[in-house]
Amino acid sequence: MRRCVRPLIPCLLAGVLTVAAPAPSALAASTFVMGAQGEPVCLDPAIITDGISGKVTNQIFEGLTKYKGATTEVVPALAERWEVSADGTVWTFTLRKNAKFHDGTPFDAKAVVWNFERWRFTKHPQHENQLKAGQTFEYYEGQFGGFDDQSLITKVEAVNPATVRFTLKDPQGPFLANLAMFTFVLASPAAIEKWGTESCKHPVGTGPFRFVEWKPNQEVILEANPAYRDKPAAAKVQRVVIRNIKDSSQRLAALKAGEIHGMEGLNPDDVRVVRADPNLQILLRPTNTTGYVAFNYKVKEFQDKRVRMAVAHAINKQGIVSALYGGTGLAANQFQPPPLWGYNKELKDSPYSGDRARALLREAGFAQGLQEITWEDGRKEPLAFWYMPVSRPYYPNPKEIAEAIAADLAKAGITVKLQTIDWSAYLDKRKKGELPLYMLGWTGDNGDPDNFVCYFFCSPGASREGFYSNKDLAEVLLQAQRLTDQGKRAALYRKAEQMIHDDVARIFIANNQPPLAFSKKVKGYVPNPTNTEYFNTVQVE
Amino acid sequence: MGAYAVKRFLTILPVLVGISLLVFSFIHLIPGDPAVAMLGERATPERVAAVRAQLGLDEPLYRQYFIYLGKVAQGDLGISIIRGDPVLADLVHRFPATVELALSAILLALAVGIPVGIVSAVWRNSLFDGVSRLVALTGVSMPIFWLGLMLAWFFGVELGWLPTGFRLDTDVVIAPVTNFYLLDSLLTWNPPALRSTLRHLILPAAALGTIPLAIIARMTRASLLEVLSQDYIRTAEAKGLPQRAVVLRHAMRNALLPILTVIGLQVGHLLAGAILTETIFSWPGIGLWVYEAIQARDYPIVQGATLFIGTVFVLVNLGTDLFYAVVDPRIAYD
Repeated sequence: MRRCVRPLIPCLLAGVLTVAAPAPSALAASTFVMGAQGEPVCLDPAIITDGISGKVTNQIFEGLTKYKGATTEVVPALAERWEVSADGTVWTFTLRKNAKFHDGTPFDAKAVVWNFERWRFTKHPQHENQLKAGQTFEYYEGQFGGFDDQSLITKVEAVNPATVRFTLKDPQGPFLANLAMFTFVLASPAAIEKWGTESCKHPVGTGPFRFVEWKPNQEVILEANPAYRDKPAAAKVQRVVIRNIKDSSQRLAALKAGEIHGMEGLNPDDVRVVRADPNLQILLRPTNTTGYVAFNYKVKEFQDKRVRMAVAHAINKQGIVSALYGGTGLAANQFQPPPLWGYNKELKDSPYSGDRARALLREAGFAQGLQEITWEDGRKEPLAFWYMPVSRPYYPNPKEIAEAIAADLAKAGITVKLQTIDWSAYLDKRKKGELPLYMLGWTGDNGDPDNFVCYFFCSPGASREGFYSNKDLAEVLLQAQRLTDQGKRAALYRKAEQMIHDDVARIFIANNQPPLAFSKKVKGYVPNPTNTEYFNTVQVE
Repeated sequence: MGAYAVKRFLTILPVLVGISLLVFSFIHLIPGDPAVAMLGERATPERVAAVRAQLGLDEPLYRQYFIYLGKVAQGDLGISIIRGDPVLADLVHRFPATVELALSAILLALAVGIPVGIVSAVWRNSLFDGVSRLVALTGVSMPIFWLGLMLAWFFGVELGWLPTGFRLDTDVVIAPVTNFYLLDSLLTWNPPALRSTLRHLILPAAALGTIPLAIIARMTRASLLEVLSQDYIRTAEAKGLPQRAVVLRHAMRNALLPILTVIGLQVGHLLAGAILTETIFSWPGIGLWVYEAIQARDYPIVQGATLFIGTVFVLVNLGTDLFYAVVDPRIAYD
């Protein structure tokens, strides 16, 4: 009997032996492979809102302006220089003369006008068909007040092939910063007309890389643009591959195995793993993100400033940041993160003090502590503290952070019930005002303070969330929005931060500097606070 | 036999309707508004309302269901909310990757499971039998995502023998014909692509194939043991037939029947397991696609893919039953 089974054993072993193939060939130095946390949605930058798509289109397209290096400072890109009229409503841009789109279309003033008309006019053929396909120019609407008559930009003219003039309804402080956003880059009109609603799959810009192929669910491949106008800024690698690796442990495995050169979306716990690996390096993206705890002002208890102040004193921000951000977080005391030019350096935060918190609660009439809240309609219920079910740059591990905050609050006599729900339901409940006390945050879009503070506190009736209302604050912010002088604007934003702080309108917990992990072979990757990173500076040794 | 086939075929229709109904209701019972999920934290209420109207989400549920069913009947599984691509086209494009992975997994499971089962049965209660049973038990109870990660770390990162994910190396180009990379690299005779494809298949196929492998090994052992104790085997042995012939030709033929059923049932598990395996190994098939769609709440994709997977599952079971009836004619008269 045994004789007949013996030949089967080699069969089993054969399987094991084929596994032991030689090590994989190292990635060619002329290729830079980046691991992304998901797949792009679309490669037409005017339509997209997600960061992964933006990561790809940043390499293919250029705008009139861009952010410089690791800052949110605005510098020329396709525009060589610009002038603004004294009242801040007429902007004249001088364009670069030697730029060309990848399909051979020359870049000139007419192309700029065409792009802006496509975004602005709902009756523009290339706007209309995009709308019909369910795609819209969301960022244009958001940053420039709307389409057609609503648009802040009322006229865009080609003065001559190398000069474009914009006329605005009102002056807009963040105008240049807006133009530098990943979404307001310029596409080849000929290509958009050719592809129509398929523009997502055929990106044609003027950038240092041109599009080669998008393999669904797998990767996007770009190659260096041999005709790039600016030799020193030309791509240093021949090919760029952006791979979709959804799972963060797998992304790290691929990086350690040398299959990719870089990744983002590192787990806070893995920062240590990467730091300990001699072949890898960590780069921190300058923070552009703030996690906060928001009060719902329809809760009677939170209408009392002493209660809000008690909450502010009760939370040990520094402790949370040290323990739960993997060494990449900063304790926040205001809405704007430190790299923004409206940041208020003078602002003093409420210090962590359980005693002070308890005293304030006693003063507010909660000698026994706070366990229950009263809604404006008289409903009473136990105080729920809501945390997000998903991690975001500002809260990399929301559950643990929520637990830490809850423990701090409990020490000061505020007992909360931790609660969460599916992400879109969470946002929905927040919008409807059903969350009494909750965690959320913001990541800046364009490096301008307006995008942080005004977005939330500008509407005078009630702010965008939590039903906080402060007319004086709104006025300061709206004033800042209309100025073009950065110095004057900065003073107003500093004042606004102080007002928000004095009123304990919201509690700002942490700024995170999202870690990126790279192979040591990668040189020249410059993380930018707005996530607008350009791979043309990247070298692979 | 013909009547049996028709009867069996008719019973799957209500099953399919049931699947579509379940898929539809489950996805709508999950809290959260897909329009909000799609537009994110910054959307204005007007935009959300506009998108809801555009997607037909403001219609009553039962109407949404019938509209959906009507379209499905015409082969229209809808348009992806996030990317705007037709679901059916994406499905057809991605299915080969999943099938290639599932087939490799099942082949691996058969190639290892059956011999192990035979050896275990023949050398019953030996050390090999004990070890293989223990390993099989572990294999059945191992979560795929954990096993997958461990395999990727051990063979990919620590030993550097095999890639940790994807279907091909970045510098290998393959001309897609059928989108089955093994087949394509053979058809276009592209040895580097063939090698790369094989190397990329090993770990995910091992992760996905572990559970079926363990089940097949145990099933083979049990089934063969039962057959080996039967009279005709003893007769065959008594006649002096070579032992290899007795086991492989006489006993295995009958022992294979229950194994066939197990394989049929495992196909469903393979498709479900593919979601985890494909996510861990960045395998661009239906599993990864569905996983991303669930996260993005891309209803049409989730509905379309689930309906599709359900249909495949039902058809595979039907196929197994019919095949079984061919092999064992007694079945058709039941």
